[in-house]
Amino acid sequence: MSKTRSFLENLVLVVIVAVLVQTFLEDFAILQDWSVSARIRLLFLGLALDIFFTVEFVVRSYDATRRHRFADYFWVERGWIDLLASVPLVLFNSGPAALAVLAGGLSVAGMGGTLNILKVVKAIRVARVLRLLRALKIFRKIKNTDSLMAQHHVAAVSTMSVATLVLVLVVLAAGGAVVTTRSLELDYQQRLERAFVHLEEENPPRDQLHRMVETIGGILIVEREGTALYSRYTNAEYGRAFSATDYAVLERAGLTMFVDMKPLNRQNAASNLRYFLVIVVLVLGYVFIYSPRFAMIVTDPIHVMARGMEEKTYNLEVLIPREYRDHDIYRLASLYNRVFLPMKDRENAGTESESSQLTMGDVQDLFS
Amino acid sequence: MNSDSVKAKAFIARLLQNPALKGFSALQQEEQIIQFLHANAAQLAPTLSSGQFFPGKNWSQIFSLLVGALYGTINDVLTPDLEKIVSRLNFTFIQLMQQTRLEQEKAAAQVGAYLTKLKDKPETRRELTGPFTAAHFGITNRYLEEIFLRKSYIHFELTKVQRLRLGVEEVRHFLDLNLLLKPAVYLFISGSQGQDRATGMVQNQFAERALSQLGKELKALPEPVLKSVVHGSVSFNDNRFIEATARLSAIFSARGRNYQANVKVDRGADTPDKSWFSTARRNYRFYGFDIKMLDELYKIAAENMW
Repeated sequence: MSKTRSFLENLVLVVIVAVLVQTFLEDFAILQDWSVSARIRLLFLGLALDIFFTVEFVVRSYDATRRHRFADYFWVERGWIDLLASVPLVLFNSGPAALAVLAGGLSVAGMGGTLNILKVVKAIRVARVLRLLRALKIFRKIKNTDSLMAQHHVAAVSTMSVATLVLVLVVLAAGGAVVTTRSLELDYQQRLERAFVHLEEENPPRDQLHRMVETIGGILIVEREGTALYSRYTNAEYGRAFSATDYAVLERAGLTMFVDMKPLNRQNAASNLRYFLVIVVLVLGYVFIYSPRFAMIVTDPIHVMARGMEEKTYNLEVLIPREYRDHDIYRLASLYNRVFLPMKDRENAGTESESSQLTMGDVQDLFS
Repeated sequence: MNSDSVKAKAFIARLLQNPALKGFSALQQEEQIIQFLHANAAQLAPTLSSGQFFPGKNWSQIFSLLVGALYGTINDVLTPDLEKIVSRLNFTFIQLMQQTRLEQEKAAAQVGAYLTKLKDKPETRRELTGPFTAAHFGITNRYLEEIFLRKSYIHFELTKVQRLRLGVEEVRHFLDLNLLLKPAVYLFISGSQGQDRATGMVQNQFAERALSQLGKELKALPEPVLKSVVHGSVSFNDNRFIEATARLSAIFSARGRNYQANVKVDRGADTPDKSWFSTARRNYRFYGFDIKMLDELYKIAAENMW
């Protein structure tokens, strides 16, 4: 591997770790109600990382195509994970979120008469789930065992479990955006819809409006024809604590209502963190527990048998743990111990052809 | 010493420094290098016959030079090592067996001289590898300790069948002497007469003839000891009455042949001694070993993770 390639691969590893930390912090910041500036920095960092991975996917695809092995890269080396965990995120998650921040808010005005503010947020969230796939990218970098077979099989199992989990989450999130089911989100949405319709139709006096809004909760500002009738916080407080994704604006017939999205965002962030932790623990479990275990009970005996067959003087038996002796691999190992090694020993007995531990490679320096 | 010899010695010295040869006894290292030279002759010959090494010499001449240098270098280590082993031998066990006085120095000198003879003759030098390695690394010691603690089959064979009224230390010296002198039987062999080439075992009647010869040359040692020495090369299949010490020396001599100290065991592999005894148990007929002794030694190795 060239120095440049090695540097880039190490850089990708660092960025993978960074993106896992960033993914965690982005939701943790919402849960802990960090300041807007901190959350915006995390949001743009997320966008930068998404762009980095998009570029990585493009470069890897180009490199693979140039060597006529794009299909290998995409399917065997799991380029499809690189794709799903990069381009859709820029297009449907960090990109729109960053644009919303730059544009100054999330407006869902006049949506065919139905105030379905949550469906847009949900659609963006579908893409966000794909971020979790990145935990799998770390597999390509961390090799906890020397065995290629162990690496391949453990990667396959982990990809299947994590990808299945993510796919289910994507389907559930996408389904939630299309099919409305009874939920806390829906209750929140319906409560605010009823409040908006009531304010629109009844136009209550200011003191009654105050009482009503305080009772309902979740409403930040009510304006009619540009005049503020109610505001829960001061402008300075809004500037410090509310980013573009923390509120939604409902507008119709001169009535404008700013709705607090933080309770829903917190709920989503908590749920995202749970999924994130499940996937990270799952991946770490595969890397640090299952992978060595797979190596121990599958590839190690194969390695011992391969050495025994390749090297004339190698005569160690395969260690057969009692609890695994019925496994196919250990049944084979038992035959190796009972039949092959004694046969090899008899075959080599008294011959001069016993191989030396020395090889020509050991004396190359003498001839240079 | 001419320049070719100096170069040959330097070349051999570099080979001996190779980490791959660590954990082998001097004679095992010698075998390893000879096998290396044989196996890689085609690649080594053009380079070693160049101007930098031995110009104008063909491979056969170069090989002789290198093997001569190798023997010399190994002897520098082997001779004092053998002397040390012999000097540590305590011949008291002979006095206890025979109830007669024995001159320790005289016996040691005779054995030492005989070992020089064994190491100087190529056929016996090769056969000395296993016994020397076993004695050098003290392979027998740890097993004898366990044998005497267990008081099982081997102990019964030593004390009741062979009737050795000896402690573990005396038996250890007996076994070490038995091991070191085991190749002596091949001094009386011409060609492959009476010998199984694969296992090195000799026919019973041939062993008896060798015994009488050996008795004339090693007068300091009594017949029961020499019998055990010679029977170390006789198959237990052919003679069910050979001494327990002879059977043990046959086993440990074979074990010493490919023994490597401090070998790193691969993950997933069993321990070296346990693996060796397990294979030996399955090939006991082929090598003429006593299966019951192998069973016990296998158990000892397994229990101690050797």
